[in-house]
Amino acid sequence: MRTDAEGAGPLVEDWSWPWFFTGVRRALAGPAFYVAIALMGVGSLARAAGFPVGVAALSTLLVWAGPGQLLFFGAALAKTAPPAIAFAVSLSSVRLLPMCLSVLPMLRGRRTRLPVLLFAAHFIAVTVWAESLRRLPDLERPARLPYFFGVALTCMGLTTLSTAAGFWMTGTLPRPLGAGMMMLSPIYFLATTARAARSGVDWLAILFGAVLAPFAIRFIGGGFDLPVLALVGGGGAWLAGFLARRAA
Amino acid sequence: MTIFSADPALAPYLALILFGFLPSEIWRVLGVAISHGLDEESELFRFVRSVAAVLLVGVVVKIVVLPSREMAAAPPWTRVVAFAVAGAAFFAFRRSVFAAVAAGVATIVLAVWLMGR
Repeated sequence: MRTDAEGAGPLVEDWSWPWFFTGVRRALAGPAFYVAIALMGVGSLARAAGFPVGVAALSTLLVWAGPGQLLFFGAALAKTAPPAIAFAVSLSSVRLLPMCLSVLPMLRGRRTRLPVLLFAAHFIAVTVWAESLRRLPDLERPARLPYFFGVALTCMGLTTLSTAAGFWMTGTLPRPLGAGMMMLSPIYFLATTARAARSGVDWLAILFGAVLAPFAIRFIGGGFDLPVLALVGGGGAWLAGFLARRAA
Repeated sequence: MTIFSADPALAPYLALILFGFLPSEIWRVLGVAISHGLDEESELFRFVRSVAAVLLVGVVVKIVVLPSREMAAAPPWTRVVAFAVAGAAFFAFRRSVFAAVAAGVATIVLAVWLMGR
């Protein structure tokens, strides 16, 4: 990682607007609308929890992780203690670490600066991550960063608008559509997780989560139901995989 | 909203930054810091990935069982049916996320609409 003591030269070298707009077009061909529609539910949940529309939209710009946003507003709605909310949100975002680790090496050139990498990392969440893994390997290295930011900024921009739209639309929607919107995010996240499942352990983790979650929610209080569930269920799934690998 | 509403105007934004943004962003900053030479196949990362998957499923379950105004229109069994239909569509269309979302949401919309008549 290069730290530029002189501060000379452009922040990003070899910037290409054509590749940036290729990324914009690619995002508008699907992923941007997809995540935008999915996160409308965050807006309605924020409203249900008593937050202003600015916080709902800002949560998309700042947190940019659907489960974390849902958890934040959902836990606030359930009047969870703030430290427990922070802990749960943080635990739900642990998955961003391996996502960053698998995308950043593809984006980094030999002279890419730290602020650029930090800015790029901020956009990494399930949608941009999946899109990056799919397309970046086929692109020449100088094209990757502009393409990435084209996809990422388009997804986040459209979703910020849709989060606010979701906030305003909740009350006015006919009841069937309102209920449908509340179900959209949960189904989207579950489907994306299943889509990303690569091994038996991944499926086991999903199964453990689905089976154990109702018990955790019913019997563990204080807002620690999800962290305990994740550590016990995830630990169990990992252990099963670990033992299976050792036996093989 | 108890603790969040200490200062009516700014408290929600502060709460978002403290309990939403920072706890989440720390993993991305950490990702930048250690993205050099870290083995994604290590046991620690397998463990972390499983924990993340279970947590995400837990979030989904909690949202679905959470008593909200919009969700109240859809009785619990219709939500279970919606997830079953979404799962069937997911696998029927070769693990299509779009098919799952479309089928699941359509099921809930249809169920609530039919029961409201």
